Amino acid sequence: MSSPEKKTKPPTKQSPESNPNPSLPNDLVVSCLARVSRLHYPTLSLVSKTFQSLIASPDLYKTRSLLNRTESCLYVCLEFLSDPNPRWFTLFQKPNQTLTKEKSSGYALIPISIPNSPHVQYDRGLVAVGSNIYAIGGTIENADSSSVSILDCRTHMWHEAPSMWMKRNQPAANVLDGKIYVAGGFKDFDDSNWMEVFDLKTQTWELAKRCKSRVFKSTVLEGEIYTFGGKVVAYKPKEDRWEAVPVGKYLRLDVGWGLICNCVIDNVLYCYNHSVAGIQHYNSGIRCWIDLKGLEGLPKFAGSCNVKLVDYGGKMAIFWNTCLPSSSYKSKSIWCAVISLEKSKTKEIWGKIEWLDVVLTVPHTSKFVAALAAIL
Amino acid sequence: MSSNMIMLKSSDGASFEIEEAAARKSKIIANMIEVECVDEDKAIPLQNVTGNILALVIEYCNKHIVDDDDDVATEEASEEEEEAKKKKVDDWEAEFMNSMSLETMFELLLAANYLNIKSLIDLVCQTIANNIKDKTPEEVRKIFSIENDFTPEEEEEIRKENAWAFG
Repeated sequence: MSSPEKKTKPPTKQSPESNPNPSLPNDLVVSCLARVSRLHYPTLSLVSKTFQSLIASPDLYKTRSLLNRTESCLYVCLEFLSDPNPRWFTLFQKPNQTLTKEKSSGYALIPISIPNSPHVQYDRGLVAVGSNIYAIGGTIENADSSSVSILDCRTHMWHEAPSMWMKRNQPAANVLDGKIYVAGGFKDFDDSNWMEVFDLKTQTWELAKRCKSRVFKSTVLEGEIYTFGGKVVAYKPKEDRWEAVPVGKYLRLDVGWGLICNCVIDNVLYCYNHSVAGIQHYNSGIRCWIDLKGLEGLPKFAGSCNVKLVDYGGKMAIFWNTCLPSSSYKSKSIWCAVISLEKSKTKEIWGKIEWLDVVLTVPHTSKFVAALAAIL
Repeated sequence: MSSNMIMLKSSDGASFEIEEAAARKSKIIANMIEVECVDEDKAIPLQNVTGNILALVIEYCNKHIVDDDDDVATEEASEEEEEAKKKKVDDWEAEFMNSMSLETMFELLLAANYLNIKSLIDLVCQTIANNIKDKTPEEVRKIFSIENDFTPEEEEEIRKENAWAFG
């Protein structure tokens, strides 16, 4: 008999000539992969066919959620003149970044290959719900559509969801308490335009109250759906009631809103405002917009710049583009910055730039459709 | 604390004495004890675990059985104490994993899986995950002893698709 203490320990360092490591059954490989950030999955899926299929398997994502390892993953949709289908990209991190001490952050947008395409492609309302991206309404051959498609970000496959009651083109869509609220998307406003609500649990559409105003854009704030389109009207889901937000109360929120991109992070509304060329947050206590502090490291965005803000798991991801003079302006760079947000004791919000970098170079004619964060 | 000792025997014939409480970290052994198929005079044979790996498993179980006892004794410990204790365990685990080669780590994972010791599976998987997260596909193949089974045509296709991203 020997006690463990007396046993000689196995060799502590692996010699270059050592035997190959024993191979693991797939469930243990999944258990390892689940603990790796999804930023590395595009690299890991190049290891072998087995890895490739494990990385797209429902088991992996089940394990990630059991282990509490789900994380926000950024998806970007772009349209190219040369391609009849919009293309989707996801953020990943190139390997060996900790070894090379170069300036590059190693982050890049990588195209994802999606074997099938939805019937309707353009002018869709896009929202992320958990691991899915919903594409709602849109146009096909100049006709508006009521169709709804879901991109499963685990498998990168599209499938169709139940259609809406109404045909809508570029509707405003938001997610609140397990439901998707869809409003607007009609060429002309008339008061027969209803808002529709999709119950994610029962997968059914229901008509909510008629909209009181045209809707170009909407956002969720403090448990209500705020719609913008000339007037600001808030829908209170609990009371199934629309309420006009008095003009002046939400100063500037509805002015040029179409030009302003916005996102809500931890119940705070942020926007990028071209007229002040900066990121602001709305303080509902004193009812005004306040500059987000701590962003001195961000470049000034050009007036023509397409800026997108995304709630990236409590942080803010910002996308913008710059021209590439070296390409005779035939190409443009898409930049991304990730900003962590902190509330000071005086309730001021401070941003801290974690990184910023060019994540993709695309033809100048390409169009940035949307950026979304799925939970995977 | 009762110090009921039981015997474990590795696949290569080495015997180890271990406190029952420590051995119970393994659900397989705990089950054997529950259904009383453990003969006090006879060692439990573990066909899939070699002596040097079993020694590591026992080192881990012994360390953690002490921690579990502490949990009971210091239920009302302050947050600070809790944190200090957690840090102590984390430090020990980091040191423990650091002391072994990747080959040993993989064998330890297989043993922990066979013996069904969840916290040890978690620890080793996390360490392997940390090891592969910043590696190239080629490096990961080496770690997992995996052949590149993409055909040259498929690989060419993948390289083309990803050239700009990996370049």
